[in-house]
Amino acid sequence: MTFFAPFTIPFIIGTIFLFAAVATKFVLWLVRLPRVDKRLIRHNLFTWHTLAAVWEVVRESLLHVRIFKVNPVLGFMHASLAFGWFLLIVVGWIETVAYLGAQWVPLQGHVFFKYFMPINGITHHEPLFEQLMDALLLVVLTGVALAWMKRLRSRFMGMRRTTKHILFDRVALSALWFIFPARLIAESLTAALYGGEGFLTGSLGHALAETVPHDLLVMFYEPSWWVYSSLLGIFFVAMPFSRYMHILAEIPLIFLRHWKLHPTAERKSYDRFEVEACSRCGICIDPCQLQSELGINDVQSVYFLRDRRYNMLNLKVANNCLMCGRCEAKCPVGINLNTLRLNSRAKRRNIPYEGRYKYLRGLDRSSGEGRVGYFAGCMTSLTPATQHSMEQIFKAVGEDVWFADRDGGVCCGRPLMLTGETDAARKMVAYNTDLFRRHNITTLVTSCPICLRVFREHYRLDGIEVLHHSEYIDRLITEGRLSVAADARRYTYHDPCELGRGCGIYDAPRRVIAAVGEVVEPKHSRRDALCCGSSLANTVIDDSQQLRLGERMTAELEATGCDTIVTSCPLCMKAINRAARCSVEDISEVVAKNILRS
Amino acid sequence: MRNINFGYGISRPRAIDIDNNDLRKSNAIIAEMPELQACIGCGSCTASCTAGNLTEFNFRRLHTAVRRGEYKGAYEDINKCMLCGKCRLVCPRGINTRALIMLIKRKLGDF
Ligand code: SF4
Ligand code: SF4
Ligand code: SF4
Ligand code: SF4
Repeated sequence: MTFFAPFTIPFIIGTIFLFAAVATKFVLWLVRLPRVDKRLIRHNLFTWHTLAAVWEVVRESLLHVRIFKVNPVLGFMHASLAFGWFLLIVVGWIETVAYLGAQWVPLQGHVFFKYFMPINGITHHEPLFEQLMDALLLVVLTGVALAWMKRLRSRFMGMRRTTKHILFDRVALSALWFIFPARLIAESLTAALYGGEGFLTGSLGHALAETVPHDLLVMFYEPSWWVYSSLLGIFFVAMPFSRYMHILAEIPLIFLRHWKLHPTAERKSYDRFEVEACSRCGICIDPCQLQSELGINDVQSVYFLRDRRYNMLNLKVANNCLMCGRCEAKCPVGINLNTLRLNSRAKRRNIPYEGRYKYLRGLDRSSGEGRVGYFAGCMTSLTPATQHSMEQIFKAVGEDVWFADRDGGVCCGRPLMLTGETDAARKMVAYNTDLFRRHNITTLVTSCPICLRVFREHYRLDGIEVLHHSEYIDRLITEGRLSVAADARRYTYHDPCELGRGCGIYDAPRRVIAAVGEVVEPKHSRRDALCCGSSLANTVIDDSQQLRLGERMTAELEATGCDTIVTSCPLCMKAINRAARCSVEDISEVVAKNILRS
Repeated sequence: MRNINFGYGISRPRAIDIDNNDLRKSNAIIAEMPELQACIGCGSCTASCTAGNLTEFNFRRLHTAVRRGEYKGAYEDINKCMLCGKCRLVCPRGINTRALIMLIKRKLGDF
C-alpha cells in the first residue's frame, strides 16, 4: 500500500520542523537549569509526584478544567479545540487500525487516511468510525467558530477585552482557523467522489455530488488536500514561535512543578517554560485595575510575558504593575506572574555596589526586652495610631515586648526587591536577621503585610515565628488572653494584597473584627479583593492615578453601608483615608478601643 | 547661635554659579519627570526619611542639588536610600519620589 502523495510534503516538512524546534528548546532549557533544580528533578522523578503530574496534564492540557472555572464559554472553546483535536488524532489512528489491522502506516497515512482510502482501493466503510470522526470534527469546528466569535466580539465570551496579537501569532492563528474548515471541504469532496457515510462529510459529499458537476469536483479534489496539508504545515512551522507553543510548553511545565521547581528572584531557564506556557488567553486583562480604572492597555501580564518572550520588554512595562496578584489568581495556567515580573526587574536594575549601606554596621536602635519582638515597619511609623494601639494591646495582656524599630529601624528590604535591587535588599535582610537573632526573640509580630511577606519568604528565621498583628491579636482573643467588648458598629474589611493573595491570610482579621462588631463584605473580597493603588511595586503611575484607583476601591467599600472601614496594612490605610468619607481604622485600633479591662 | 540647626538649610552658605554647572543631566531628569518642578521644598520627604533618620542623608537637599546641576557625591549619597517609600506618602505635591530616586540613580551612575 502506498501512503505517499506530493500534497503531503508541506505537512511532513512542518511536522519534522516542529519536533526539531521544540526538542531543541526543551533540551536547552533543561540543560541550563541551575544545579539545585536538576537535583530536585532527579529526586522526585520516580515518585508519585510524576503520576500526579500525568493526571494534571490530562485535566489542564486537554480538558482545560481551570479555564472552565474562570469562564465556561472560553473553557469550552479551548477544550473543544484541544481535546477535540487530540481525539481526532487518537481516533484517527484507531480508525486506520480498524481498516487495515495492526500494520505500520506512516504518520501522513493516519492524518490523511480519507485520501489514501480510495487510492489504496479500500471501498468498504466502517460507519462507527466515520460517524465518530465526523462528530469530533464538528466539536472542533464549534471551537473554531467560537474563536472567530471571540475575535469579533470579546464580550460574547464574557471578556471585556481580548489580547492584541503580534505577527507570528496572526500567521499561526489564521492557519489554525482554516485547518478544520479545509479538512471539512477536503473530506466532503472525497466523499462526493468516492462515497462516505459520515453524517457531516458524507451528507455534505452527497449534496456536492448532486449539485456540482463531476469535472469540477475532480478539479478541486487534489487542491483541497493541498490546502489542508499546507495549512497544517504552516501552523506547525509557526507554532514554536507563536502563542501556540503553550500547548507543548505546558506539559513539561506541569511535570517540573510537580517536581517542586519554581521561579525565584533570579532569572533561570525554568522561567522559559512558564513564559512560553502562556496561551495569551487574555483572562489576566480584565482583573487588572490599571486596565479597568486607568485605561492602561499594554502592561498586563499577557503583554508583559509576550514582550519578555520576544526580548522586547522595556523598563516601563516591567515597572508598571502593582503586583497586586489579581491576575495571577485568575491565570488558568497558574503562571507565577509576580515572580516573573520581579526577576525581570532584577535583570535590568540590579547593580551590585559593595559600598552600599555601610552605615548599617553596628546599628541598633531597638528598645525593650522580651521574647516577643514587634517590628512596626517603615510605613507604620506614618500611621502612629496603629503603633500606639499595638502598645496598648501588649500592655493589656502583659506581654514583654522588644521593639525593633520604635526609634527608627531599617527597612525590611522588600521595597528594594520590588524595584529589582535584589543584592541591595539582601543587605537589609542580613541586617534585620542578625538583629532579631541577637535579641533572642521567639515570636516576631509585624503590622505591615509587606514586611510580613518578605520575612516569611526571604528571611531564614528558623525558631522565630513570624505573625502579622491581625494573627497575633486573633490568637490573643481565641486563647482568652484578651477580652474585647462588642459594639454595634458595622465594619467592612479591606483585604490588603500582600496579606490576602500574598500570604493567604483572610480569616484571622475577620475573626478579630467579628469579636468586636459586624463584618460586612464588599463586592470584591478575599482572593478577589481590589488593590488600593498605592502599591510600592508600581513606580510608573503618578499620584493622580494612584488616587483614582484608591477612590474607586474605597467607593466599593463604602457601598456596603458600613460605619467604619477596617484594614490591616498601613499603606492601604493611607490610600483609603485619602478617599473615604466614613472613618478608617487599622484592625489594631478597632481592638484597642474595645479592650475590656479586668 | 551658630550651632543651632533649625533644619531649614539645604546647604552650607557658599557661592554657586549655576551658569557654570553642567545642566545636561539635570535637564534630562526633569524632562523625564517634569513633576519634580512642582516641588515646594517643604522637606517632608527628609523629615520622614528612614535612611535620613539613621544617617546624614537628606533627600530634599539631594534632589534640589541635582536639579541645580550639582552632582558631586549625589550618587554615593542616594545609594543610602532604602526605597521604603515613606517620602512618596508624605509629599504634599504627590511627587513620585521613588521613581525619582531610581531615575537619579540611573542618570548619575547605574546602567
Ligand atoms: S498570563 Fe495566564 S491569564 Fe494571562 S494570558 Fe497568559 S495564560 Fe492567560
Ligand atoms: S499584578 Fe495587578 S497590576 Fe499587575 S498586571 Fe496583574 S492585575 Fe495588573
Ligand atoms: S516632600 Fe515633596 S514637595 Fe516637599 S521637599 Fe520633598 S519632594 Fe519636595
Ligand atoms: S524611599 Fe528613600 S528617600 Fe524616601 S523615605 Fe525611604 S529611605 Fe528616605
